[in-house]
Amino acid sequence: MGSLKDKYCIVGVGETEYSRHSGRTTRAMAVEAVKKAMADAGLGRDGVDGMMSYQGGDSTPSNWVSPDLGLRLNFFMDVVGGGSSSEALMGLAMGAIEAGMCHTVAVFRSMNGYSDFRIGGTGARAAQPVRGLDLAQVPFGMRSAGQNFAPTFMRHMYEYGTTSAQVARVRVAHSKHASQNPKALLKDRVTVEDVLGSRWIVKPLHLLDCCLETDNATCLIVTSAERARDLRRKPVHIMGVAGRVNKPRTDFHWAHGPISRVAGYHARDIVFGQAGIGPEDVDVTGSYDAFTFTTMLQLEEYGFCKKGEGGAYVASGVIELGGRRPNNTSGGHLCEGYTHGMSMVIENVRQLRGQADDYCPGGAEGKHSYDFSPGKCRQVKDARIAMNLGWAMPPTGSALILHN
Amino acid sequence: MPTAEYRGMSLVVPENDSEWREYFTLARGRRLMLRACADCGLMRYPPSHGCPWCASLQWSWREVSGRGHIYSYEIVAHAIQPGFKEWTPYPVVLVELDEQRGAPTEHEAIRLIANLVTTDFRPEKEENVAIGKRARVIFQDISENFALPQFTLTDEPPVGRVWRFPG
Repeated sequence: MGSLKDKYCIVGVGETEYSRHSGRTTRAMAVEAVKKAMADAGLGRDGVDGMMSYQGGDSTPSNWVSPDLGLRLNFFMDVVGGGSSSEALMGLAMGAIEAGMCHTVAVFRSMNGYSDFRIGGTGARAAQPVRGLDLAQVPFGMRSAGQNFAPTFMRHMYEYGTTSAQVARVRVAHSKHASQNPKALLKDRVTVEDVLGSRWIVKPLHLLDCCLETDNATCLIVTSAERARDLRRKPVHIMGVAGRVNKPRTDFHWAHGPISRVAGYHARDIVFGQAGIGPEDVDVTGSYDAFTFTTMLQLEEYGFCKKGEGGAYVASGVIELGGRRPNNTSGGHLCEGYTHGMSMVIENVRQLRGQADDYCPGGAEGKHSYDFSPGKCRQVKDARIAMNLGWAMPPTGSALILHN
Repeated sequence: MPTAEYRGMSLVVPENDSEWREYFTLARGRRLMLRACADCGLMRYPPSHGCPWCASLQWSWREVSGRGHIYSYEIVAHAIQPGFKEWTPYPVVLVELDEQRGAPTEHEAIRLIANLVTTDFRPEKEENVAIGKRARVIFQDISENFALPQFTLTDEPPVGRVWRFPG
């Protein structure tokens, strides 16, 4: 098969409010997010004939959402998947269109991640019976995402001398970005001292090293570059996609070291190879911030700095607005809200359109001040290439490269 | 033994779960046993059906010493599971066993998740937990035919550099 670089585009994005009290079903939220993305793209009822979603038993299926929007689908598929599914589903949507199964695919994620099925693992999740592979860790009080990932973070500190103060700079950067985002749940800027002074969750993670739990739905619409030309927004082209890429022994990744290595090690050549670019060509990144550490580990693994130097890299200011390559310019999962990765792709699409929805009057139409003081602008000037680094677990990840 | 109750959790091992049923029953008999491939001879954990290195489906149980060192760890301050709240702060350790270290490649080893406990099954004090320290298996009985392999510190010399999280 020939290269699919630049043959498909993301043409519509949409999301509900980010909250901790949606008071609605995941179906109701998904319908709103898809409807907004269709409106964003300028697509009518005959404009979308494919739908995909991902979930972990906490969402709603495509064929419950499409009727509420008057859509008759030629293709739908709802997959079980956690973080890093956003990027991988962009590739699967391309595949469905390429195969002639449909022409335009809406991909959504909907969850009451705070008010119902808490993504952090308390409540309903903690009460589930323990069986199968979970018997290798859950009986030992290791169940939540933070508990799952902490030995990886700890080993990175041991091997490379990475410090809590260095990775705290990820939270500092993302809080700066959230202060420019009317949608963000947490808009206050924080300091390294705030992070280090917050209570312990699971060492080495402080409370502020951890992301939020959020109710929301999000949507991205993919179609061919040919169709994209006639739609409402400036098309954002897909240059390359990889996912969900695994490390060896992904059933029990601790058996295969170095455990401080994450899946990006195996994904980077796939995605950069398709795109025909290298890390130095990327203007904006969306490195999944389930935790401060996950952003750092992935930036390092994809070659934005040398392996082992991720701590110094994120502490250098390069990932902040005004720096060389800002990361998670919407505030990310740490500050904007937790969307299982979707919002980081949505944000990069808006960045490449020049239409970050910040506090600039006219920002959504592309008029920006580039004043990064609190409550102002978050548009990266002249952003041309954006990259998403999706994370599920240390051994599983995805990546996506976009250009305008 | 379909189900064992532990700290408010139902640990479910159905009759058809050949991977775990024998493992936990053997642990109740004070033996730490792993599946070893009948073709390439390498052991693996957790007790899976096929060999991760040669894909053979032929295997047998093989006993290991249960001695190793702490490869990485965490200290849980905020418990997720209600039954662990009274146990905080508690250490979860990744223990690398002495057997099969660095095989079949230099970065591979048999590693187990467990709690680091005192010999009366209380969580080990945080200041005593560090990468590199030696530990041995200690079996915590849950029911008549189910025990959890846990680990406790020994006074043997450490493996490599001893490192403890400074926070």
